[in-house]
Amino acid sequence: MTPIHTLHILNKPPEHPRSVACMNALRPGDALLLTENAVLALAVQGDTAVSIPVYALAPDFVARGLDQSPDRAALVDFPAMVDLTAQAQNVISW
Amino acid sequence: MTGSVIPARNNEGFLENANDWTPEAATVIAADDGIELNEKHWEIIEFLRLFYKEHDMSPPSNRLFVKSVKEALGEERGNSIYLMQLFPGTPAKTACRIAGLPRPTNCL
Amino acid sequence: MSTLIVIDQPPYGTWAGREALDMAFSLAAFDQPVSLLFTGAGVNWLRKLQQTSEIEQKSVEKNLSAAPIFGVEALYADADACTRYGLRLEDMVAGVAMSESNSELLHQYTHTAFAG
Repeated sequence: MTPIHTLHILNKPPEHPRSVACMNALRPGDALLLTENAVLALAVQGDTAVSIPVYALAPDFVARGLDQSPDRAALVDFPAMVDLTAQAQNVISW
Repeated sequence: MTGSVIPARNNEGFLENANDWTPEAATVIAADDGIELNEKHWEIIEFLRLFYKEHDMSPPSNRLFVKSVKEALGEERGNSIYLMQLFPGTPAKTACRIAGLPRPTNCL
Repeated sequence: MSTLIVIDQPPYGTWAGREALDMAFSLAAFDQPVSLLFTGAGVNWLRKLQQTSEIEQKSVEKNLSAAPIFGVEALYADADACTRYGLRLEDMVAGVAMSESNSELLHQYTHTAFAG
């Protein structure tokens, strides 16, 4: 696995100002992990695609009744989330 | 009463986990309140078990308990006097305790 | 006296919405006319098939389904927010009505309160 420069962990819904700030801070080589209400971003229609790897925490995804196979993110469980964190040089918890 | 018959309960006598409930447990909990369960009680208990399964909560207050029973089983059962006779005290609280449901949130 | 309670925040994560739902249920318990309007990310309350066992929270979808039983008069969903979140009527819990104009709806109630 390629190392991640900065892992952005976002738990705010798309309407939240910090969600906007997070999207503006993404750089090539980074990865984005959506947890809690941030997974709702995957339900937003016609949202601009992000050019870095996007992950979403599966328990939060299914809790909100979202479609089982998102095309814009890979679903991860808790152990995989820990692996992601370990791969990253830096972590930003938004 | 042997402690092994009924699952873990909290300090107010409500089951810690609604899924642990059994009809035998109901009989024991009811006996604590001096209630001997008959088919009228069981009808309400079954209604509450179903309500919890569908709505993931107990009716939050006594008024809403009465309303819910009325909606499901009609006016004859869905009135506070009928339910008070079956489940003395605060009927919602007493009935939920026997049915193994969590304490109604707005019943003190 | 009629009340409209507006939930504009997503389910789970915060308690604001649940408190608002409790308020609606309490008003209904005393036979006060009350309706709910879901706007913004709040429309996600209405999505079917929420599976909350792994996050160890009560399903708001199941809680909401008790609203008609308790006497809550209507569940409205903001049409634009539903479009944004890809929600059609068939994706949502039973009994939801689409609101095309919230400002018109707000003016029909003697009291409107926002969650949180």
